[in-house]
Amino acid sequence: MEFIGKIFALAVAAIFVQNFVLMRFLGLCPYIGVSKKLDSALGMGMAVIFVMTMASSFTWLIQTHLLVPLKLEFLQTIAFILTIASLVQLVEMIIQKTAPALYKALGVFLPLITTNCAVLGVAILNINDELSFIESVFNGFFAGVGFTLVLLLMAGIRERLEKAEIPPSMKGMPIAMIVAGCMALAFLGFSGLKI
Amino acid sequence: MKYYLKLGFILLIITAFASGILAFINSLTDPIIKINEKKQKEEARLEVHPEAVIFDSVGVLNDEVVYIAKVEDGSIIGYTFMAIKYGYSSDIKTMVGVKPDYSINKIKIISQAETPGLGANCGNPEFHDKFLGLSYDNLLVDKDGGNIISITGATITTRTITNSIKEALNSLEKLLTDHSLEEVAE
Amino acid sequence: MNLFQEFTKGFVKENPVFIMALGLCPTLAVTSSVENAIGMGLAATFVLVFSNMIISLIKNLIPAKIRIPAYIVVIASFVTIVDMVMHAYFPAVHKNLGLFIPLIVVNCIILGRAEAFASKNNLTRSLVDGFGMGFGFTLALVVIGGIREVLGAGQFLGFNVLPETYKPMLVAILAPGAFLVMGLLMGLMNLKKNK
Repeated sequence: MEFIGKIFALAVAAIFVQNFVLMRFLGLCPYIGVSKKLDSALGMGMAVIFVMTMASSFTWLIQTHLLVPLKLEFLQTIAFILTIASLVQLVEMIIQKTAPALYKALGVFLPLITTNCAVLGVAILNINDELSFIESVFNGFFAGVGFTLVLLLMAGIRERLEKAEIPPSMKGMPIAMIVAGCMALAFLGFSGLKI
Repeated sequence: MKYYLKLGFILLIITAFASGILAFINSLTDPIIKINEKKQKEEARLEVHPEAVIFDSVGVLNDEVVYIAKVEDGSIIGYTFMAIKYGYSSDIKTMVGVKPDYSINKIKIISQAETPGLGANCGNPEFHDKFLGLSYDNLLVDKDGGNIISITGATITTRTITNSIKEALNSLEKLLTDHSLEEVAE
Repeated sequence: MNLFQEFTKGFVKENPVFIMALGLCPTLAVTSSVENAIGMGLAATFVLVFSNMIISLIKNLIPAKIRIPAYIVVIASFVTIVDMVMHAYFPAVHKNLGLFIPLIVVNCIILGRAEAFASKNNLTRSLVDGFGMGFGFTLALVVIGGIREVLGAGQFLGFNVLPETYKPMLVAILAPGAFLVMGLLMGLMNLKKNK
């Protein structure tokens, strides 16, 4: 029972209180780039959740069973990023074979998940916060969910903004940033929420 | 197939070469990092018990060594230990110096990553001063009925630090009692 | 483009942050104070210059198919070097920048310049490009950091620059403030560009 409580607390923290995009500033590049349309945002979000969960598990195993026993912790950055790059490559190949339409829709954004700071970020955070294997996997999953949530909210807002009257210099990136700022203000309200 | 093997091999060479260089630099910087950490803790101990001349280790609390602070003639002027607890957005580590009656001599926040401008102000001397002379029973923030006035907009940070010191004090008493029992048994 | 133009293009015309919208994650995260902004800017510049240098030197030795992973290894190595050196010699800044030092490896600016420039140009031009882009990045960070620190704490580099009666706008150094300042600055840049 305590285990479920712990996982629930992890979920609330990763999705709301310390949302990866709006509070930790991780995953911003794709956040701004892909959030223009709702369906591509959903596809991207799903892919990110999958990669983040798998990345969390693989990097945890590599850290615990390879880097620490061999006293190679200083190779963490290289090892982690190569693991993530390989995972993304794998995901790309799988999606290409099983869902070619989604592959076409995501286009160049799929390989860009490699440089999504949220993926490397959650992998390092799992180690820094000294989470167990199961906790790390769940943390990766929920961080991805938080990312997707914010991505979908942003896409919904931006689809509407297309029709609004915005000063020309604010169109595109600037207004997206302002919207993100307002959302961050809203999420700030979750601060201090502890389970 | 052979082509992919060749590609993988080249990548392996590059990675091995890079790892070699990193291992070399690591051997240079790692000792310095360890020395810095040790020095930081020694300085913190002196700050919370400035008159101490000797520090004798007496046990471990919160993964940090507990020390007895003594002056030149060997008489005990107190103890130092580390209190730690997760605050608003980070682990807060506090070095605490107490007198032999377990009242606080001085504290110093060693590490924290709380909100800048709010909780992060716990690193300021003005915050440390709030704890001078307090003992277990009056370690309470104002909201819990005590005298420690919370930092504006950082009640969680203040309360966490206060509670972390309380919990550590509990464990400290037990640790010291066990230790003196051991000494008697020897 | 002569060498001098190559160097200065990163300052304003092709500023990596404001114009190309790269490297957003660290930009928003470390600009809560000017000191952190400078620290990150210099660290990223170091990685950028050396990666560009190595990559332009070995560009003919790497088969095209594995060039991205190879670049990643090079970049990750220099990031690890910066991490270790900062930890040993600048522990305060290292602690403030925290997670974002290893995250320099996924800073799109560095991989972007490696792919777009260093892999196609000679050593001298790559070095100059690295310095220029790095300086532009640092400049952007300091500008944003300056605004946020002055508004949010009444200080610049830790020195009080506003009168005692100024009540700091805390939101400027919190997460939402980063987005809002960024959005407004980008809007201003667009305004200047369109004039």
